Amino acid sequence: MNLAATLPLRPATLGRIPGNKAIWVGIYCEVTEFALMFLVYFIARAHHPDSFTAGPSQLSLAAGTAYTVLLVTSGFCVARGLAAMRVANRQACLRWLLAAFVFGAGYPMIKFFEVRWNLAHGLDGDAGVFFVTYYYLTFNHLVHVFWGLLGLLWVMVRTGAGSYTAAEHDGLEAFACYWHTTDIIWLMIFPLFYVLR
Amino acid sequence: MNDIRKLDFAWVMLVLLSVSGAGLGGAIEPGFGVTLVVAAVMGIKVRIVCAYFMELGTASRRIRQLMYAFCYGMPLLVILTSLFGPSLARLTGALV
Repeated sequence: MNLAATLPLRPATLGRIPGNKAIWVGIYCEVTEFALMFLVYFIARAHHPDSFTAGPSQLSLAAGTAYTVLLVTSGFCVARGLAAMRVANRQACLRWLLAAFVFGAGYPMIKFFEVRWNLAHGLDGDAGVFFVTYYYLTFNHLVHVFWGLLGLLWVMVRTGAGSYTAAEHDGLEAFACYWHTTDIIWLMIFPLFYVLR
Repeated sequence: MNDIRKLDFAWVMLVLLSVSGAGLGGAIEPGFGVTLVVAAVMGIKVRIVCAYFMELGTASRRIRQLMYAFCYGMPLLVILTSLFGPSLARLTGALV
């Protein structure tokens, strides 16, 4: 019988704290930090509309789209890993987490090549206010992705060691919340810098 | 649709919206209509992540409200900056 099709994969309790309180303190801090940076983006955009209209066409839209697909796919794999853990399928959970790591690690790899491409085309921090804002926000996001990848390695080790069970996997769920928040922030950065003109 | 199928569907929707949203960047002349579509796509995508991946529907009210404020505030700011950019520039003139 297919357990995944019959067991409840979502907690039914309303008003619960997904993961644990500590991760939500971290997520609140992350969201506040990025909200302030987005505010700087909007103020800079209001002051320099021409720079922000011309800027996106100089960036690689293919790279931006690739980041988005990689990150949402990585987030999807984490969500599937969590669902597998809830039906006590530890091996499937580990496979999904490994897939999440592979997709997530694709992000900094493409970023490396994109930055090299940008610099080769003179798109550095001196290329105008659009690029200053772009580098500031995207590098900050990159740092959060690195932390997330380290967290992903940690929950993979814990999953492999059998530390999580179907009944007790708050640490895994807490990591999932952090990773999805990092996804959400990218889903905002992507249209602001690569699409909107 | 069981929860696994919902996750699969959410992922497919996210990829499709991302790719089609990226198409907007290169294909259409900039304008307020495009800004509205871009903001709407942004709002839909973050809503999908909140609802299906983060499962905020069962989360405590404060957590849900904070995330929704952030998720819907950004698309709203995109629209407001597009509509009232010069006013925002005047208001924040002393900062720049």
